[in-house]
Amino acid sequence: MAATQAPTRTVGAPTGTRPPADGNARAVRARRARTAGFHLTAGLLSLLWLLPIALVLVTSTRSFDDIAAHGMGSWPRSFTLANFGQAWNEGGQGHAMVNSLIVTVPTVLLSLLLASMAAFGLSRYDLPLRRTLLLVMLSGNLLPPQILLIPVSKLSEVIGIYDQLDALIGVQVGFGVGFYVFVLHGFMRAIPAEIQEAAVIDGAGPWQIYSRIILPLARPALAALSALSFTWIFNDLLWAITVLRTDSKMPITASLIGLQGQYVSLWNVIAAGSVIAAAPTVAVFLRFQRHFVAGLNLGAVK
Amino acid sequence: MTPFTTDRRNFLAGVGAVGAGALLSGCVTQTSSNSPTSQSSSGPVTLQSNLSSPQAKTALETLIAAYNKKGGSRAQLNTVASETFRTQLPTYLTSANPPDAYTWYPGSVAEAYAKQGLLLDLSDLWQGPDLSRYSAAMRDLCTSPSTGKKDFVPTDYYWWGFFYRKSNFAKWGVQEPTTWNEFLALCQTLKTKNVAPIGIGAGSGTAWVASAWFDYLNIRVNGATYHRELLAGKHSFNDPQVHKVFDYWGQALPFFDPNGTALAFQDATTSLLEGRTAMMLIGTFFADAAPKDALGDLDFFRFPVIDPKVPMAEEAPADGFFASSRTAHAAGVKDLLAYFATAEAQELYIKNSSGTVLPTHPDAKDNGTPLVVKGRKLIASAAQVTQFFNRDSSDALQPTADTALVHFLSKPKEVNSILTTWQRDAQQIWSK
Repeated sequence: MAATQAPTRTVGAPTGTRPPADGNARAVRARRARTAGFHLTAGLLSLLWLLPIALVLVTSTRSFDDIAAHGMGSWPRSFTLANFGQAWNEGGQGHAMVNSLIVTVPTVLLSLLLASMAAFGLSRYDLPLRRTLLLVMLSGNLLPPQILLIPVSKLSEVIGIYDQLDALIGVQVGFGVGFYVFVLHGFMRAIPAEIQEAAVIDGAGPWQIYSRIILPLARPALAALSALSFTWIFNDLLWAITVLRTDSKMPITASLIGLQGQYVSLWNVIAAGSVIAAAPTVAVFLRFQRHFVAGLNLGAVK
Repeated sequence: MTPFTTDRRNFLAGVGAVGAGALLSGCVTQTSSNSPTSQSSSGPVTLQSNLSSPQAKTALETLIAAYNKKGGSRAQLNTVASETFRTQLPTYLTSANPPDAYTWYPGSVAEAYAKQGLLLDLSDLWQGPDLSRYSAAMRDLCTSPSTGKKDFVPTDYYWWGFFYRKSNFAKWGVQEPTTWNEFLALCQTLKTKNVAPIGIGAGSGTAWVASAWFDYLNIRVNGATYHRELLAGKHSFNDPQVHKVFDYWGQALPFFDPNGTALAFQDATTSLLEGRTAMMLIGTFFADAAPKDALGDLDFFRFPVIDPKVPMAEEAPADGFFASSRTAHAAGVKDLLAYFATAEAQELYIKNSSGTVLPTHPDAKDNGTPLVVKGRKLIASAAQVTQFFNRDSSDALQPTADTALVHFLSKPKEVNSILTTWQRDAQQIWSK
């Protein structure tokens, strides 16, 4: 997991080679121009990328009359923090945030627990049909979830968990585990066999090997996956509106579209709501930033 | 990777541990949210609502609170986002344990569910002291053509018209037109003053507002009866009558705001308020997108007369409630809907909502602003009332209209191929 440092600062400049001491002035100038050009282009690009976020932040502090009279794109003529209160209280975001966390935290823990166990079994033991199982899990991920909306909704009704948060947790675990197993399998396979052999010689059973050796060694992968899965599950809307129908049980994503009116939308309140809804994932991202980047090349190097 | 040999006992112990772990964590999550389901036959009546914008939501919450205070049967409001509601309504109605009552629209859109036997028969409610006094037009609207039963309780409606700012019309020195020629002359005058005469917000997901133009031109040129039959699939969009509608539209098209198909109607409202456009054919709900201080400056005029021989029909979509035929407490649902039908309930709702809607009860007072008084008079004097394109046909047909009309707005010369395509797309939906 060490090969995750940021790439070199300047493009094109070969790292580790310095220009000759006598100094070819033209080459230096050309390199400086390249660096300046790079920073200018990258700066402009990142500005372009930050613009929508800035627009949302500005809109969230404007009054509705200001937006209605001058349009969304106009220069702000008002400043208010009341929108956040309106989204949190009248918009029901406070309650929805609790629901989101009730769903997200157990789902992340449960699915990673199950996935790590499955990955342990599949990667460390010569189980029959191992490859088939993995392929089935992977192909399940390639299936578009949309075609399963109606079966899932009907099935949860038959089981009697429709419109309960349990149903959402179940669905999220079910759909997440396949991918997590695949990633963790790739990671656990790379752990040297000698470590496990040593443990077997010391008398450790599979449970001990799993919980005391493999799991601690897989911690970077687990951290990265939990950060990723937290974002995915927290930001999910599709499954929530498929298995839930009571507004008091809806997670924050559903309550965010609930802020949209049938005809007219209060963009300032919606923007404030978006800022609130984005806060937990941003916090998780900042906390696990390192692992996030690490997560991107998990299993890339075997 | 080398495979590890493991003896049977260890393996079984491992499996057991895995199972126990899964069970344990399963238990934890199971108990975390085991609230009783609200659909048991002894519980309150559940009302599934799509009024998700904060103001409308609060208005309905207040109404339900007033109903619960009255004593007797109780109701529980459940608000979901209007877009979620639209897509999930068939699922709600066909589920084994559906919510009891729903906000929705009368007419064709309710008829689709009535045909499948999913709606509760409310005919006896219409014999009651309030609903029996509703207008004949409302009664017909809420009667299912296929079953002959009444299955809907309308509570409020709004109207469409050309809205403008009084101060701007005064500044430009122009008057409300009443005939099509006066209307075109007005547009000509406005154009010389460097204003886009006609605003429309048919872009960014609100393409459906263009259907108002089609509806109104059709009911002014061919009449409301032909319009309804056309939307029901009894005529073709390729008819010469429909071509005539687009001939008239073509006359007005040069006066449309060139940005009209790029803006959502809410942004088009801002253009109107800022005086970049002069008027807009829109429903009264657009007033929610106006700042409070501009409300008093808004006025409207009726869609101009094109053929004086055609009876003047107006677009006035009604909103209200229907109930599921699978409800476990039909008596409670009927009690709730009977309450919504009273003048008292409608006045309470209008007082807390945005205030541009009109009550369906003949005795109920509206909020009394000049705009609303004028609107109520307009609908009262109408020979016939239509709902809106999707409500007079189906939600499935609306996208075909959106495609055709937006295409027409940008390429009016291709009207022949547009109407042929429209008819072909519509035929696919009608024949389903």
